[in-house]
Amino acid sequence: MKITVQRSGGIAALTREWSVKAVTPADKSRWEPLIAACPWDAIPGRDEDGGGNQPDRFMYSIRAGQHRATLPERAVTGPWRILVDNTRAAAEAARNKDGRR
Amino acid sequence: MYCSIIPPYILKRVAAQDAPQFSAAARAAKEALLHVKSVQAARAQPSPGLPPGVRHVKAGPPQRTVYDAQEAEILPGNVVRKEGEPATGDPAADEAYDGLGHTHRLYADVFGRNSIDAQGLPLDATVHFGKLYDNAFWDGSQMVFGDGDGEIFQRFTLSLSVIGHELAHGVTQHSAGLAYRNQAGAINESLSDVFGALVEQFVAQQTAAEASWLIGEGLFTSQVEGSALRSMKAPGTAYDDDVLGKDPQPDSMDSYVRTSADNGGVHINSGIPNRAFYLVASSLGGYAWDSPGRIWYDALTSGSLKADTTFRAFAKVTLASAEELFGAASKEHDAVKLAWETVKVKL
Ligand SMILES: [Zn+2]
Repeated sequence: MKITVQRSGGIAALTREWSVKAVTPADKSRWEPLIAACPWDAIPGRDEDGGGNQPDRFMYSIRAGQHRATLPERAVTGPWRILVDNTRAAAEAARNKDGRR
Repeated sequence: MYCSIIPPYILKRVAAQDAPQFSAAARAAKEALLHVKSVQAARAQPSPGLPPGVRHVKAGPPQRTVYDAQEAEILPGNVVRKEGEPATGDPAADEAYDGLGHTHRLYADVFGRNSIDAQGLPLDATVHFGKLYDNAFWDGSQMVFGDGDGEIFQRFTLSLSVIGHELAHGVTQHSAGLAYRNQAGAINESLSDVFGALVEQFVAQQTAAEASWLIGEGLFTSQVEGSALRSMKAPGTAYDDDVLGKDPQPDSMDSYVRTSADNGGVHINSGIPNRAFYLVASSLGGYAWDSPGRIWYDALTSGSLKADTTFRAFAKVTLASAEELFGAASKEHDAVKLAWETVKVKL
């Protein structure tokens, strides 16, 4: 199972993407609770604040297996934030190990 | 060293196979969550603009407060400098304080506007927001600046055009109810770049010919191949880096970008109206905050911009402002018309 977090927007509008693959049973047992904790079926609507995102804030597109969610930065709280931060940390740790910029 | 902006060629390579590193990151996330304050987007409350050319409003002095979030994602944080207090010695806090003052002065001296809301709104800014936070934003009532990750970005207060950009979002919010999506969002973004650039030019007393027309110059670290976030003069040329990729801004409608990312490409297609403003300023010469700035400011505060304003509708409003301020046979009117034609926005 692959987990991908894409972050777009921000004043610089540079899109960043972090991915991890949960392959082993041990990986899966670590990631599945994090994914299951997210309310994939109750994503706030784009227009709830009357005009989309706040100026210059990030937009997050999150994919985990068959799940998809697009959220403005300030909705990335609770379990979403934990999933995003863990995905980013794991992807960066792996890349760091590979010595890539 | 690592960097997490992944260019397509790296994306095609692999993803991490490693087991997730939990405990530390999860703990950090939970700690951060305790501090996350959800902020309501302030509703756009259009306020009546000044009649063209009228600058009778007496703008008061700024009332600045700079806060320090101490790397938490909490707003506003602890007060570190209030109006009239001496420098703190923290570059981020002092740059924010000075930048707010410069921006306030442009609006007061040039446009006769008393702060962001035209009614003397106190100017609040938070620095050191989040850990290695790669952004600056306007939350509906204040400015927020991150420290940058030190690898791609330095601290966001380093650029006066960025400080001016954020404050301009406040001015736009109080002047026009532009949606932050698609073309209306790109106009919103462009207005922030325009007035951010004008703050920088006003402080440096640069003419249109002397100015760099760069937004966020000096924000990138030396490891990035690029001079700034955006170029109003030549959209699409601000950076070209093997990791970041190339500046994606179009310089005319011929290369307009359709995307769902970034709220419909609001920071990308803003290159089109940005260049239109530059062309007006360049063709008229002199200080860009004079006639070009007055035309754009009048368009912004005219009450004619709707939530879903398109580039075409915005272009028409700027042309109407130019006509109202300078006359239909004026060089200003002609410059505005030609600029929009050059970027292929049909009037
Ligand atoms: Zn902006």
